[in-house]
Amino acid sequence: MAQYSQTAGATGNPPAQWPETSRVQRDPGQSQLILFLHPRCPCSRATLGELEQLVAHCRGLFSAQVWFIQPEGMDEDWSKTDLWHAAAAIPGVQVNVDYQGEEALRFQAVTSGQTLLYDASGGLVFQGGITLARSHSGDNPGRDAIELLLKQKTTLSASAPVFGCALG
Amino acid sequence: MSALTATTLPQNHALQQATALLRIAADEPRPQSSATSVDPSSLPDFALQQRAAALFTAAENDLHRHTDQLFARLMIVQWLAGIVAALWISPLTWIGDSSQIHVHVWAAVLLGGAISGFPVWLAWHHPGKAVTRHVIAVAQVLTSALLIHLTGGRIETHFHIFGSLAFLAFYRDWRVLATATVVVAADHLFRGLYWPQSVFGVLTASSWRWVEHAGWVLFEDAILIVAIRRMLQEMSEIALRRATLEGSNVEIERQVVERTAELTRTQAELLETSRLAGMAEVATSVLHNVGNVLNSVGVSAELATSKVREFRTGSLKNVAELLQQNSADLPAFLTTDPRGKMLPDYLLKLAVHLAEPQVAILQEMEMLQKNIDHIKEIVAMQQRYARGTGVVEALSVADLVEDSIRINTASFTRHEVNVACEIAPLPPLKTDRHKVMQILVNLLSNAKHALDHSEGDRLMTVRATLNQVGQLEIAVIDNGTGIAPENIDRIFSHGFTTKKMGHGFGLHSGALAAKELGGTLKAHSDGPGLGATFTLTLPLEN
Repeated sequence: MAQYSQTAGATGNPPAQWPETSRVQRDPGQSQLILFLHPRCPCSRATLGELEQLVAHCRGLFSAQVWFIQPEGMDEDWSKTDLWHAAAAIPGVQVNVDYQGEEALRFQAVTSGQTLLYDASGGLVFQGGITLARSHSGDNPGRDAIELLLKQKTTLSASAPVFGCALG
Repeated sequence: MSALTATTLPQNHALQQATALLRIAADEPRPQSSATSVDPSSLPDFALQQRAAALFTAAENDLHRHTDQLFARLMIVQWLAGIVAALWISPLTWIGDSSQIHVHVWAAVLLGGAISGFPVWLAWHHPGKAVTRHVIAVAQVLTSALLIHLTGGRIETHFHIFGSLAFLAFYRDWRVLATATVVVAADHLFRGLYWPQSVFGVLTASSWRWVEHAGWVLFEDAILIVAIRRMLQEMSEIALRRATLEGSNVEIERQVVERTAELTRTQAELLETSRLAGMAEVATSVLHNVGNVLNSVGVSAELATSKVREFRTGSLKNVAELLQQNSADLPAFLTTDPRGKMLPDYLLKLAVHLAEPQVAILQEMEMLQKNIDHIKEIVAMQQRYARGTGVVEALSVADLVEDSIRINTASFTRHEVNVACEIAPLPPLKTDRHKVMQILVNLLSNAKHALDHSEGDRLMTVRATLNQVGQLEIAVIDNGTGIAPENIDRIFSHGFTTKKMGHGFGLHSGALAAKELGGTLKAHSDGPGLGATFTLTLPLEN
């Protein structure tokens, strides 16, 4: 069980610059956080908890979008789980369905909970997870790094392991 | 070590409490400090202390057993709750659109089962043992860890630890809290050192952070231990009070047994006294009636004596001397002498005169004989009834009633009491002749006394009938002085009497005798001056 909790998922190789072909709405002049989630991943509930804390701690410093993948052959009901509603309930967070995982593929996200932070100029400054283990809420280096970047206490890019189910 | 403490603790409490009680009882000034040593001279007896200690130990053991069983149930519930939580929170783990059962579900089932199984088994098979509650304490803390993990480290689930400590305090054993605390501290220490993110949620934590977590647990322990001390003190006080109460109960029971034995003895003596009193009453009646008859015997003897004195034996002597003086020529004396010529007429008149008292004497002698026969009859009757005590025999109700009247006949005659006897046709009565006779003689004697000062006709009726339930009822009814309402209820009480020379035995012993025969004796009166009715009810077969 400990091994399961502590085993990180793959992080892929997200693009260093915002991909022009993406359907994800770009918000120029502002840091932008994109979180890819598997709508049925139980581990990702902790990720949403951490996102909620980020939104609270860094209000107005960034915009956030959560993308729930919807594999081919699945309808929207499959995606709109309690996780969806939990994400939609976070103030200022935009929730979207990623049909057939097209955007996840575009951003090279492969694990639920994978978080990408692009700065105002569209450069990737953080990629990875914002929990310390699968399903576990609490302080973690990923969230701390994002907070430091948003509050401009550092300009160094950062990454953290992602703990969650595979997106596809 | 723990066993030693367990046995000495209640005794110390008991001793202190007992000392306090004794000081209050003796109105002694109390020492300034409550923690002063116990004065051995003021201690209650050793048996009381021992009993209080035994009661304390029993109560403590009972508490441990019940708490073990409570935890056994709680552990099962927690195990099931963990499974439900795992199924609810993280039922499946996903890869795209394919899934499999989440490891948390297996952990909840298997690890939860392993954590709960052993303590549940111990609680069921070895309740009350120290090892059981310590294993339960360890398992309870491990359950907290599992639940925290299953809920994703939610801070709210950490409350389970503090709730568990409060539950463990049910044992009223600080050592159990210590065990749980040691497990919590050790878990945080070792995981903090080797795997901090699993317990503190950070990759690097201070090597002393475990102290902070253990400190909060110790904070709750301190409060709980104070509560446990107070509860143990109350338990020992209760044990001492119960031991004291038991001692009092034993003393009370001993006194009850003693008094009951005394009462039984007194009742037996009373019964014997009453029986003797009843026999004495019959004997008194017999003597009274024999005395009455003896009066008649005396009168008859006096009459006979006076009649005998009236005999003119002097005149007969004179005639005999005159005939002796003239014996030489009696024919000449009888034919020529004027005294001799009158002699035949004189002798004829003398014979007539002598015959008159003879008839009277004979009549008195006949009366005397009758009275002697009556005395014989009374004595024989008394002997017959006295002999029959305790023997059940078939009796004629009419004979019983008539005999009891006959014993008192002389008394009734002398006091001019008219007795009417109304006896219905009745089957034989199977009972103790003596007891029934004793009751009837007493009732007749009382009725006679009630009529002694009665003006007008003195009437007594003895009526024997069967009542509606087939029992014999013998009612003795008089028109004498009657009974005041306030005395009706007391009239059968031992020692109660309205007679100047009475002892209060007669009716009391009569009522007891009636009860012994399976019947009742009841009184009724419309009030003073309106007569009374005493009814003896008896079953036809005793």
